Formats: sequence, C-alpha cells, structure tokens
Amino acid sequence: MLKLQDVQAFYGKSHVLHGVSLEVDGGQVVGLLGRNGVGKSTTLKAIMGLVAVQSGSITFAGKDLHRQKAYRIPRLGLGYVPEDRRIFPRLTVLDNLRTGFDRQGASAARTEQLLEQAYASFPRLKERQRQLAGTLSGGEQQMLAIARAMMLDPQIILLDEPTEGLMPRLVGQIREIIDVLRQANVSILLVEQNVPMTLAVSDRVYLMERGAIRHESAASELSVDDDVIHKYLGV
Amino acid sequence: MSELFQDLVVQMLIGISTGLILALVASGLTLIFGIMDVVNFAHGELFMLGAYMGWVFFTMTGSFWLGLAAAGLCVFVFGLIMQRSALRSLIGSDPLTTILATFGISLVLQTAAIWIWGPTVRRVGAALTGHIVVFHLQFPVYRFMVAVLSLAIIAGLWLFMHRGRFGLWIRATTQDRQMALAMGIPVPLVHTVVFGIGAAMAAISGYLYAPILGVDPTMGVNNILRAFIIVVVGGMGNLWGSVLAAVFIGVLEALAVIWVSPALAVIFSFAALIVTLLVRPTGLFVAVPR
Repeated sequence: MLKLQDVQAFYGKSHVLHGVSLEVDGGQVVGLLGRNGVGKSTTLKAIMGLVAVQSGSITFAGKDLHRQKAYRIPRLGLGYVPEDRRIFPRLTVLDNLRTGFDRQGASAARTEQLLEQAYASFPRLKERQRQLAGTLSGGEQQMLAIARAMMLDPQIILLDEPTEGLMPRLVGQIREIIDVLRQANVSILLVEQNVPMTLAVSDRVYLMERGAIRHESAASELSVDDDVIHKYLGV
Repeated sequence: MSELFQDLVVQMLIGISTGLILALVASGLTLIFGIMDVVNFAHGELFMLGAYMGWVFFTMTGSFWLGLAAAGLCVFVFGLIMQRSALRSLIGSDPLTTILATFGISLVLQTAAIWIWGPTVRRVGAALTGHIVVFHLQFPVYRFMVAVLSLAIIAGLWLFMHRGRFGLWIRATTQDRQMALAMGIPVPLVHTVVFGIGAAMAAISGYLYAPILGVDPTMGVNNILRAFIIVVVGGMGNLWGSVLAAVFIGVLEALAVIWVSPALAVIFSFAALIVTLLVRPTGLFVAVPR
C-alpha cells in the first residue's frame, strides 16, 4: 500500500536519507527501529511531504506522493503523529480534532462517527474537550495527537515515537490503541526506540542506520537480544 | 473644574479614537506576521491605496459608504494578487527576502500613486459632520464613529477566526504551519487569504483616516511607523496585544501633546518602544490570549 523506493532527502543542507526503501501493506503494523538521528523521523516527514525529497519514489495506493502538494497527502488517507506531538497548544482539544475532520468532502455523519470513535478510545479527551490543548499532560497530549490523526479517517498512520517520555502504564495504553487500529484495518508505520514494545506489536520491522535500511525481517523472527538488534540499536 | 483636567479628558478621547484606527492597521500587520512571518513593509502603501480607492469611488458616487466598501474590496483583491505573485514562494525562507520584496513593492506603489494621482492632497468628506461638546471643547462625532467602526471590524475578525472552518485553519496554521499541512489544511491558500484580509484592514483604516488627514501618496509612509511600534509593543503576532498597544500609544501621544508639540509627541512612542524592547522584548501584552 505504502512503498518507498530509494528515497534520498535533505534536511536543510545535510543529506539525511541515503536511499530508503520500505513497504507497508494494508492492515500491517511495521516497525522502524534505529538509534537517534539515523533518519527515522525524516523518513516519516518525507512521506508526508514535509521535507524535500531529492530522488526516489514514494507511492501510496498507486499514487505518487512525491508529486502531491503537502496538504493533499493527508486527504489521501495518511495520518501523521509527529515525535514531539505537535498538538496546537492554543486550540481547544475539540478544535485540535476539528483540524482533521472539519474538511471538504467529509459528510457530517461520518465526522460525527469519527469523533465518537476517538472519544470512545480516549474518554479523557472528551472530558477535556473545551480545554486548551497546551494545558494537557504529556500523556494526554500524546492521546490527542493520535486521536487527531484518526480524525482524518486514514488508511495508514505514521507514528513517531509515541511512547517517548511516557509512564509504563501509558505505554500499555498506546499498545492497546495500536491493536484497536489494527483491528480497524488501519496500517501503522511505527518509529520507535522501545524495542520490546515494537517487536511485540509489529508484523515486520526494519532496522535503520545512517539514512538507509540495513535489515528487514518478520518481527516474530527477532528477539530483544538478537545480534542484529545489538548491532543497530545497542549502545 | 480645572483646565488641565478638561484637557486630559479630551486628549484621552482623542487618543483612544486615534488608537483604535491605528489598531486596525496594526492588527492586519500583526496577523500577517503571526501566520507567515512576513514583516510587511508595504503595509503603509496598502493603507494609502485604500484611501485612494475609497476617494475614487467617493468622488464617483458621492457616497462615503460605497467608498469604504470599495477601499476594502479593491485592496483585498490587490493583497491576494500581491501575496500570490510576489510573496508565496518566499515564505519560509530568510525573513530578509520578504522584507526586501515588500519594501520594493512599497516603493513601486508610492511612485505609482504620484504618477497616477499626483502629489496633491485629495479630500474625502466625513460621513458624519457634527460635534459633541465635551466641556468647552468640540469633539468631532466622526472620530467616535471611526473608533467604533474600527473596533467592530476587529471584533468581526476575531469572530471570523473563532467560528467556522476557515478561522480554525487560520489559527492552526498560525500555531504550527507544518502540522497544519499534515492535517490537510491548505496552508498556501490560508496564507493568501490572510494577507488579503490584512491588506483590506489597512485599506479601510486608510480610508477612514482620509477625512481627518487628507489623501496623498506619502500618507502611508507618514503613518505606518506608529503601526510598527504598536505591533512590537503589543507582541508580534498577538491580535489583542496590538489593540491594547494601539490604544496605549494613541493615548500616550495625545496626552504628550498637552505639554509638547505634536511633532515631538512621537518621541514618547519611541520611548515606549525602547522600554518594551529592553524589559519585555516579546511584547507588553503577551499574557493576553490571541
């Protein structure tokens, strides 16, 4: 469904992606692991059209994303949850969600349904819907960032380090959400540093180093203390 | 009642009314800066262009209100074209590039105004001509009307930004441009429309000012300086901060006139600017929600 082929990208003047190729099929959860600064986040930004792609191709459901204007990409069915959450701090929780569902071509009934689904997954957000998003706790902001992406009614969600800085209890909650999304047949490309969690929820994983994919395998074939894990993720 | 007290009251009224007209110019400027990081050096010329457009329609139709509508509408469209053609591709690059671009446009507009309309001062009749007597002094009703109208337009802008989809897009884009794109908000369109709105607000204030100042090609340059001071004092990008700062600067200068000549009063605004930059560089009114 989502396919990157030999993607080269720059962040400012530095060459960050040196030919990234990966694939996410419908309904799959795919993990993208690697140390800090190897280009995992830039890969997600490249898919969303937020960094300039020099060469290579990014296709989604048969469409070439590379040639789309950035704001059209989410409308094709891609949701993005960035690493630092990036909720709109001076909008209310509800308005944050509205940035996703209050869009052209979405029926009122469908948007209502999406909002109810999000509130069912995150009851906390419903309680706080009139509150400014900037006043939420870190965990709540993470939930809001995921709920906001769900408002786009996406076929795939790009999740960038959703568990970063969260308490273990909340990490469990993120895992549950990933399972809920999988059951709803939403694909996920999950960027993480949390190896056990990624191996547990993913169908397949890619290991990334210095701007390129170095290893690919089924998640079930890897364990936390495998040699490849040590090679690309160990300290 | 002492004469000084009467002077103070009258000057306060003049200051508040001037402040509210300035608020209209400054809020457009701050709105544009807040959302696209463009310091619009052509804002004064949009103010001037609005006055001329209004004057043209006023002399054609004899109606003050048609002149007002024409000023807003023509310059709104001009703003859309200006942003789309000259600024859109520069957004996100070095701020100096947009400063140079807008400065260049301001020079072109000033020269064009001299070329088309000449240096003569043109007159627009005020919509209301009466006076209100405050103590022994006459206070023009027109100033009251302009103050109320300016405040109503700014309140209208606020409502537009807080009701409906486009307003939400504007607020979201102002807070995080990249994330707005990632939520499917057509950011380039939002930028263009906001620039048009800011331009229209400058144009309307230029026209409202016309019966007080007269219309001439340099009216933009002569009046925009205060708007820039206000935007900095109010906090760049902060709408209500700009309104408060505009009233503050308006009153400050009006009170200063009691003791010094009007030409020297602007020094007080500069003093306020310098103090702001020294003690609270992000603006005196940053605590006010946008």
